[in-house]
Amino acid sequence: MLRIKRDLAYRRIAEELFIVDAAKSELHELNGPAAVIWEGIASGKNGPGIISDIVSEFEVDEKTARADLAEFTEELLRQGLLTNANS
Amino acid sequence: MFRGDAGAARGIRKRYGDFSGGRKPVFLFEVNFKDRKQNPYKPAINLKNGSVRLKRGDFDCIVDTGTGAGRLEINPSQQSFDSFLRTLYSWILIRCGGCMLHSAGIVKNGKAYIFLGKSGAGKSTLSKLAAASSGCPAGRPALGIEVLSDEINLLRFEKGSFRVYGSPFWGEMRNEGRHGSWPVGGFFLLKKAKANRLGDCTKSEALRLLLRCLVNFDRSPETAGNVLRTAARLLANARFSRLEFTKKDAGFLELV
Repeated sequence: MLRIKRDLAYRRIAEELFIVDAAKSELHELNGPAAVIWEGIASGKNGPGIISDIVSEFEVDEKTARADLAEFTEELLRQGLLTNANS
Repeated sequence: MFRGDAGAARGIRKRYGDFSGGRKPVFLFEVNFKDRKQNPYKPAINLKNGSVRLKRGDFDCIVDTGTGAGRLEINPSQQSFDSFLRTLYSWILIRCGGCMLHSAGIVKNGKAYIFLGKSGAGKSTLSKLAAASSGCPAGRPALGIEVLSDEINLLRFEKGSFRVYGSPFWGEMRNEGRHGSWPVGGFFLLKKAKANRLGDCTKSEALRLLLRCLVNFDRSPETAGNVLRTAARLLANARFSRLEFTKKDAGFLELV
């Protein structure tokens, strides 16, 4: 189960999602499918729910949405913005 | 209450006394002057068990957030006291839905305009040009132009809109500043250029610079959330534009 790292502040402003990691003084900006994926994880949605959101919002096929989700969550884990509750 | 250096206390009362609002104080400090080194230079703010600690090499302050009573030990110099006040106000303003912005501020015809820029973008140059156009160091209200600060501006959210407050916090111009507040007229993303030009900017560009210019030493996630909320509110309430200006004269004021 993927979770957003504790102690991050985030907000959607002007079509983009801004994430502030105050402890590291870092600002991250997400838009498009990345912002939808982030908001899906933040609201506790599972993989199929997030894929469904991407498919309906960006008019892509399910295979593309699944690949986007896998690639982006891997990137977020690498950057330490997500944690894997199962590991 | 000051202890330990009557000369330093007199200097501080003289420097900041005009900015006292005359209301019952929200915070009351017992100030103890003591020789302290400036390092570490960057202030740190920590909130714990109902008190906040503001600490830098040359000052150490603990305030009870419930009662407002605080103790401050500080190096007896105006520079140290100025840094302490900047740290304290940056923290208070963010908690109250306002902010302290690293920026130049100019009043024109009763409205305050904020010029945001990274170091070297021209905040001091622009402020000096505006002041010179009015013929005196900080501008002259009678001519409709007044420089609020060439370095730091204080914003508060009041009754549904933002106001900019005059302050004693200045950069190169080293003016005294004056007490007062003005409604926000607009924000400009500043850039030096060969000609004066006004252009549009995206909200994302504005937000990025706004967050970079917002003074915040508190690394807590709660404060980061407040900062994002204030930035979003500023973007929703005020107009942001891009201003390229030439340092030849104060012609840019016509575009403001």
